[in-house]
Amino acid sequence: MERKKFIHFIALAGATFQFLPKRLDAKNQLKKSGFSDPAFHTPPYLKPGNTIGISAAAGYITQEEIQPALLEIQSWGLQIQCGSTIGTRYFTFAATDLERIKDLQSMLDDEKLQAIMCARGGYGLIRIIDQLDFTKFIQHPKWLIGFSDATVLLNHVFSNFGIASLHSKMCNSFPDNPSLADAVQTATIQSIRKALFGEKIAYDIPWNIHNKTGIAQGVLIGGNFKTMESLNESLSEMDVENALLFLEDTGEYLYSIDRMFWGLKRSGKLAKLKGLIIGGFKIKPDDPGEAFGKSIEEIVLEKTSEYHYPICFDFPVGHQKNNFAIKHGVIHSLEVTSIKATLIES
Amino acid sequence: MTKLPPYLKKHDTIGIVCPAGSMPLSKIKNCITTLKSWGYQVKCGNTLGKKPVYFSGTDKERLEDFQQMLDDKNIRAILCARGGYGTSRIIDQINFSIFKKNPKWIIGYSDITVLHAHIFKNFQTASLHAPMAGAFNDDLKNNEYLESLANALKGKIFSYECDSHPLNRLGKAEGELIGGNLSILAHLIGSASDLNMHGKILFFEDVDEYIYQVDRMMVQLKRSKKLENLAGILIGGFTGTKDTTVPFGKTVLETIYEHIKEYHYPVCFDFPVSHSFRNITLKHGQFHRLEVGRKKVNLEEIVCT
Repeated sequence: MERKKFIHFIALAGATFQFLPKRLDAKNQLKKSGFSDPAFHTPPYLKPGNTIGISAAAGYITQEEIQPALLEIQSWGLQIQCGSTIGTRYFTFAATDLERIKDLQSMLDDEKLQAIMCARGGYGLIRIIDQLDFTKFIQHPKWLIGFSDATVLLNHVFSNFGIASLHSKMCNSFPDNPSLADAVQTATIQSIRKALFGEKIAYDIPWNIHNKTGIAQGVLIGGNFKTMESLNESLSEMDVENALLFLEDTGEYLYSIDRMFWGLKRSGKLAKLKGLIIGGFKIKPDDPGEAFGKSIEEIVLEKTSEYHYPICFDFPVGHQKNNFAIKHGVIHSLEVTSIKATLIES
Repeated sequence: MTKLPPYLKKHDTIGIVCPAGSMPLSKIKNCITTLKSWGYQVKCGNTLGKKPVYFSGTDKERLEDFQQMLDDKNIRAILCARGGYGTSRIIDQINFSIFKKNPKWIIGYSDITVLHAHIFKNFQTASLHAPMAGAFNDDLKNNEYLESLANALKGKIFSYECDSHPLNRLGKAEGELIGGNLSILAHLIGSASDLNMHGKILFFEDVDEYIYQVDRMMVQLKRSKKLENLAGILIGGFTGTKDTTVPFGKTVLETIYEHIKEYHYPVCFDFPVSHSFRNITLKHGQFHRLEVGRKKVNLEEIVCT
């Protein structure tokens, strides 16, 4: 389907039925246009010999910095295609908007690529997401890999096209010398390989006293909280229907996180969830004399006290060493007991 | 049509509250004295002068204080002593049923943008985007910003002229004047306080933000279709703007302009609404006429009869 028509449809739908979720219309449209199973679509898993494209769609990165990732991914039996945005720089960006669009677009359209890994996060995807044409990507979905700023991409392809992607570390997190890497580092990098090659996700998370017990099944969606907030009321807005929502963030004040949770609640999203998964939150320390006085756990539990779905804290995802790969847009079950929590791909 | 609360007469009472951050009484004293010198009586809420913790009281205390002022028929205006953070936490618990029948002026800016947006969106009622208690500690002599608040309370029709900024886009516009703090406007998107910006004259300002974050908020406003159908735009001060270690590559004004350059409505930069002392009182929600000329910018209230 033509992107233009698609956008036009969305615009019309938005104007006429203000309260209809736009992406539902989008998915129905896709269904009518012959796209199979628009609700939840998983790109084909990778096989040895397949190729991963690497593109810097946001912040800049040097050739040297991606070398560890290249070597590791090649050791998995995969080939690498480096985009034109690797090793270039335009202020904080890897390249101008136009150049970043071109690079990512050519990879989205390239049928020889089975996955695209964002080289790093930073800031920049939201500036170009509406200029990307996903027509060919929808016909031949591939794994999009990344987190942080890449949250834009992950949510955009799921909310609009129901296509799954991989929320994981990116090129800049691969250890320089894998033989010297510690067990957690190694395990997180290997989790990317396992997920891409089709292994089902199954994680055990240690008990946190603030967890809310329960069992839920839903579509795992989420990412960087601040980035998710910036998508509200846009085409890339998170799809909270039947969602197990996971959130992480870095460099935010506690008050700002509190405000974002109010935003989530006031826009009706918290009420719709099937479960909530809280990853790492690297807090920016309160300014002197401005101690906020609430922990992340308190902030979350305060907003969710009237809901009965399970809530799991300390999930190993975020701007931290134990940032494991998880499949965004894929159905999972979350079980939180008084001993531990488990997240299992259905 | 926008509802205007009754303007104040001599001896009317202004309530002062802290619905968000805390503020010591010593910093509110000048505000109280000045309001009295303007001929008003002042009623201090329980949330003033609380010991210096983050909020000026628990959610319940702040809610009750504000609610009481809102419901008290003897109070003709509520001045929020300061912003900070906290109005979003209580806004959905505030009961506006008496306010709807007997509207009064709500005064403040920054975090108080939540209140301005909420009462305009839900009750089509005007409010005052204006200096708060801290501003009364500035030099009081010939202070046109405090004077603008005094004039607004008295019911003087708003009319303001300032020099035109070189980046301005010329033109004329009419519409309801809405806006406030950019971070708050972005935060409210999708909530019950989210403003419909179609046909409006939008103003915004912010403080201590990174340029890339301003960029992201502008993209967010654009992607949520808030920028395309404006009547006009007034960009206030961006005080304390920070850049990342690696420069973003644009000034904050260039960043903002990039996202509105494709539209044709008038644009005014450096309008005196900000976290600095340059903060003119605006009647949020009221109809205004904006004229951005080569040399001068005019913003004036349109009084519907």
